Amino acid sequence: MIRTGGVALAVGLAFSLAASAAAPVCNLVPGWTAQGKARSYTQDNLFEYMDGNAEGYVLYGFQTMQGVTCEKGGVTFVIDISDFGDADSAYGMFSATHDPGQPMVKVGMAGQIVPRRALFVKGKYYAEIAANPEGDHTETLRQWISTLEKTLDGSSELPAALAWFPAEKQQSLRLVPESVLGISLLKRGYVAQYDAGKAFVVEEESVASATALMVKLRAKFAANTAAAVGDEGFLAADQYLGKLCIFRKGKYVAGYGNLADGQDGVALSTALAKRIP
Amino acid sequence: MNRESSRRNFLAAGLVLPAVASASRTSGQSPQAAAPSSQPAPQSNASAPAFQYRTLGKTGLKVTSLGFGCMITSDGSVITRAADMGITYFDTARSYSGGNNERMVGAALKGKRNQITLSTKTEGRNKQEALDQIDKSLSELGTDHVDIWYLHAKSKPEDVTDELIEAQQIAKKAGKIRFAGVSTHSGQQTLMPWLAKNPNVDVILTTYNFTMEPFMNDVIAEASAAGKGIVCMKVMAGGTRGRGATPAISEKLHREGALTSALKWVLRNRNIGTTVPSMTDMDQLDANLKAMSQPFGAPDDKILAMHLEHIAPFYCRLCGDCNGQCRQGLPVQDVLRFATYAEGYGQFALGRERYLALHPSHVQAKCGDCPECTVNCPHGVKVAREMARAQEMFA
Repeated sequence: MIRTGGVALAVGLAFSLAASAAAPVCNLVPGWTAQGKARSYTQDNLFEYMDGNAEGYVLYGFQTMQGVTCEKGGVTFVIDISDFGDADSAYGMFSATHDPGQPMVKVGMAGQIVPRRALFVKGKYYAEIAANPEGDHTETLRQWISTLEKTLDGSSELPAALAWFPAEKQQSLRLVPESVLGISLLKRGYVAQYDAGKAFVVEEESVASATALMVKLRAKFAANTAAAVGDEGFLAADQYLGKLCIFRKGKYVAGYGNLADGQDGVALSTALAKRIP
Repeated sequence: MNRESSRRNFLAAGLVLPAVASASRTSGQSPQAAAPSSQPAPQSNASAPAFQYRTLGKTGLKVTSLGFGCMITSDGSVITRAADMGITYFDTARSYSGGNNERMVGAALKGKRNQITLSTKTEGRNKQEALDQIDKSLSELGTDHVDIWYLHAKSKPEDVTDELIEAQQIAKKAGKIRFAGVSTHSGQQTLMPWLAKNPNVDVILTTYNFTMEPFMNDVIAEASAAGKGIVCMKVMAGGTRGRGATPAISEKLHREGALTSALKWVLRNRNIGTTVPSMTDMDQLDANLKAMSQPFGAPDDKILAMHLEHIAPFYCRLCGDCNGQCRQGLPVQDVLRFATYAEGYGQFALGRERYLALHPSHVQAKCGDCPECTVNCPHGVKVAREMARAQEMFA
């Protein structure tokens, strides 16, 4: 992990907290020089930097950000590395902000490069680079994120839960930090959107809490029928979530929503349950 | 901070996204269900929320006083349900979730465009970037126009450049937007009076909540009197998270209704057209709908006081009770206000300028020179610590 003393913006507590995060430096790639001072932010002052977008970061457990703007030959790269506390949350941020319609690149856990922007996630770190001016900066961005990736500690393994979801006809797969399917009972989990329907997996703290959650969900969807999926399950219907199949396997509560006519919620959920440990 | 290297530029870089088929243009006129301004709509069901409708300044747009800020919503079903229940104002931005938010909002409101007022924002730094972004926004939202298009997150008049205003006028003439707006998270004391006088600005989207300084009421009133529609964000003052609140405190505040009290506090200001609190689930939606129809009362005062308590060590209410308490004669309230300019509103230059304009003996004084602080804030601000922070920051 790179640590520098070039952080100058924050003071007091904010400074000490922020200084613990990874900080990018411009001379990582030859020929680039710093433009202005390094940046450093915590939850308390992130909004000063990104105004209305800070809330989205905080929602995913944002802790600190270190950034710098680098310049070479009239091109500037705005480079920021955020610490989200753990790999799941950092991947969650990446999953919410990358474009599912664009190809991914293998950098750290995952990355994406488009002509003026690059993102990647490694361990608890989420890194972003924006390029100015207009133009195709793909190759330089690739060089930068490849170099940056080597400076960051942490795992390059994707969260295990991603492999549980069927890949066929999957449009997106992301970590939802709160209220999965818009249901406050389902606090945090992965959601895969398919051409038809969406699947979700929520990990509870224990089998007991997962079992208690199922009781509450049955009460929420009062008109339900039992389904033989996982350890327990039920089928229900909702005006906005359509046909639902929800089940519990161990401490996991999972299932499908918005199923189309002809889709077998029990069969799909059974297949999902088999992949969940 | 070098604004040229700010997050705005970062987000302006954007992504090249696949186009979404545009929906047919709708008139965008006031919702059919709209009742006269500031009047509750007749309800056919006693248990349904009593919607309040207000008019956004001279735009004539009638919207529910509770709108929907879509930024952190992850499941479009909540947005769809809100529209079905009667909320008529929805707000997003090109930059939210790298563009993914607009796409979700567009899908969630598909088929409902003629029932709602829709706004988005641009962080484009120049005319062409802004115009490129409105085209992308319309594509992602699945519509051929938005009702309000904001210049995103401006803090001072110089941020609202002539060419960005020109971009809004071009988009308006092309029928891509109906009204031009500016959003602001800081610098309102200077910016809002300037916007109020700007004939090209129809709507102002501003941070506004119970923790803010009294001048906010004045600048909002001035802008409203000038015919600007006023939309408020951050009405929950950042929710119950952060700013020193432990998870336990956050849970308590949440459980006791701090968020709905904060919303009611904002809604009691009749100069406010609508609000855009973030909502992620049906429960929050239901709670906010309930708040919309309830008056602000003593219990709300109590819970907001409790909310303020946990941010008190950081937050000066400028009550003036500390005047004369400092043995060095320092104007504590002023110094903390200047620190708020710098840290709370992101206006470091303004804060420092005001600080350096104090009497030279005050500028040179250091709180660390005193063995102990004689100033006791009745609201719990850790004065010595915050003063020392300010002195270090502005040195």
